[in-house]
Amino acid sequence: MDEHMIITRLKPIEEILTMVGKFPASTICVVGCSICARKIQTGGETQVTSLAAQLSSHGLDMLDGKMVKHACSAKSWDELIEENPALAQADTLLVLSCGAGVSLLGRISGKPVLPGLNTTSIGGALANDTLEGVCVMCGECDVAIYAGLCPKSGCPKSQINGPCGGSSDGDCEVEGRKCIWVTIYEILECRGMLELLDDIKPPVCHDRRL
Amino acid sequence: MGFADALDSGKFIVTAEVSPPRGTDLLDILSEAGQLQGLVDAVNVTDNQRAMMRMSPLVLCHKLAETGFDTIMHMTCRDRNRLALQSDLLAAHALGIHNILAMSGDYPTMGDQPSSKPVFDLDSVQLLQLIEKMNSGFDFQDGPLDSPTSLCAGTVANPGARPLALQLLKLNKKVSAKARFIQTQAVFDAAVFNEFADAIKSIGIPIIAGIIPLRSARGARFMNDKIPGVNIPEDDIKRMETAADPVSEGLEIAAETIANIRPTCRGIHIMPIGGHGNTRRLLEICGLD
Ligand code: SF4
Ligand code: SF4
Repeated sequence: MDEHMIITRLKPIEEILTMVGKFPASTICVVGCSICARKIQTGGETQVTSLAAQLSSHGLDMLDGKMVKHACSAKSWDELIEENPALAQADTLLVLSCGAGVSLLGRISGKPVLPGLNTTSIGGALANDTLEGVCVMCGECDVAIYAGLCPKSGCPKSQINGPCGGSSDGDCEVEGRKCIWVTIYEILECRGMLELLDDIKPPVCHDRRL
Repeated sequence: MGFADALDSGKFIVTAEVSPPRGTDLLDILSEAGQLQGLVDAVNVTDNQRAMMRMSPLVLCHKLAETGFDTIMHMTCRDRNRLALQSDLLAAHALGIHNILAMSGDYPTMGDQPSSKPVFDLDSVQLLQLIEKMNSGFDFQDGPLDSPTSLCAGTVANPGARPLALQLLKLNKKVSAKARFIQTQAVFDAAVFNEFADAIKSIGIPIIAGIIPLRSARGARFMNDKIPGVNIPEDDIKRMETAADPVSEGLEIAAETIANIRPTCRGIHIMPIGGHGNTRRLLEICGLD
């Protein structure tokens, strides 16, 4: 499962406390996800245990934290209960997974679910490196033109017909980033395939994603 | 003669830039622009320039048109999706605006509303195509317009950006998308500009060179650091540092730059910092008044 990854970041504890504060007198279970969030260390055993302990120290009624195999895909709530009987005792689930996992657990459990993470992009894991923001799910993938790199996600302005005027000596005008167009150009030049970039690409059809 | 006619005529073009106010009152900016009367072929009006929130340029262009100026309205792709871009293009025509400068726009985090949604539904090439389409009577989806626009569209380029080949890739697309002129980033290094002009000579598109007269050595260093693509030569900064009257020195430097690029460009675009108080003087030094 290393080939894809939803990038998430842990919410600040103050925000989590405000959320759980809306459910007083509720027994809470922190649920981690064993796929992306575990790999990126936002929703693995360590984070689940530590968040549960933190909330417990704030006087909240916490069950021991649990891991599910994949929060975004399940046969049924009953099956999840079979694997993790403690989940049945929770009134509220505080989920450390991507937004899709939170949403799915909410649907099948019928319980209030609270997101413990912010989902920011689709990325990947390369050895110990996390690649963030490599796809924005445009619904019409055409990275073949761009040397396998995606300017819709890799360029802050999603420029698909060449770089904006802010590209300077390989740097992006947005601080701390490289201009992805320079990399695309270098690879295609090396492959002798610059003509791939010649045609004017039409704008993305956003209705294709409906 | 309007700006588009001046482009066709071969005349050396002078344009100047103003920005809409950060409030609701247009009086100051209209009197500021009044100083340009009789000096310029058109006045450019910026569109939330540097991603800093200001009044819509549609309004200021319209007011300037009423006082007899031809205007070039800047239109960025940062703040509007294709529906809003089309609405504003129709509005521009209806309000007597004849020219549009299509550009991507600086990223929102560079300005004063950093948490804004960056739209970029179209890019500048696609915006130029859209204008061309609306000029021929159709909307983005090929639906017929009740009446077509007739807008002269130009675009921007940055002669200093490297690699140059990558700039040219985009520029060629803009030219196929029927851009009628390009306006450049501020030119401080005539040699860099002339190299750029030479590289695109075969395309045959008129280049209007951006000019910012320097006002102080400190300001020059600030621009070098903060404005993407600006590269002011150290020699000029030194001249500014030692000058008794830095503002006059800045005008002299600008006039020298203009003289050096005049053979390779079709016009200049003056975008001074802090108003047009010295624009007439600069044009007089250049013999362009
Ligand atoms: S083109 Fe980019 S954003 Fe679209 S699907 Fe492919 S990688 Fe994702
Ligand atoms: S500098 Fe390059 S990566 Fe950055 S916004 Fe412009 S085109 Fe995109």
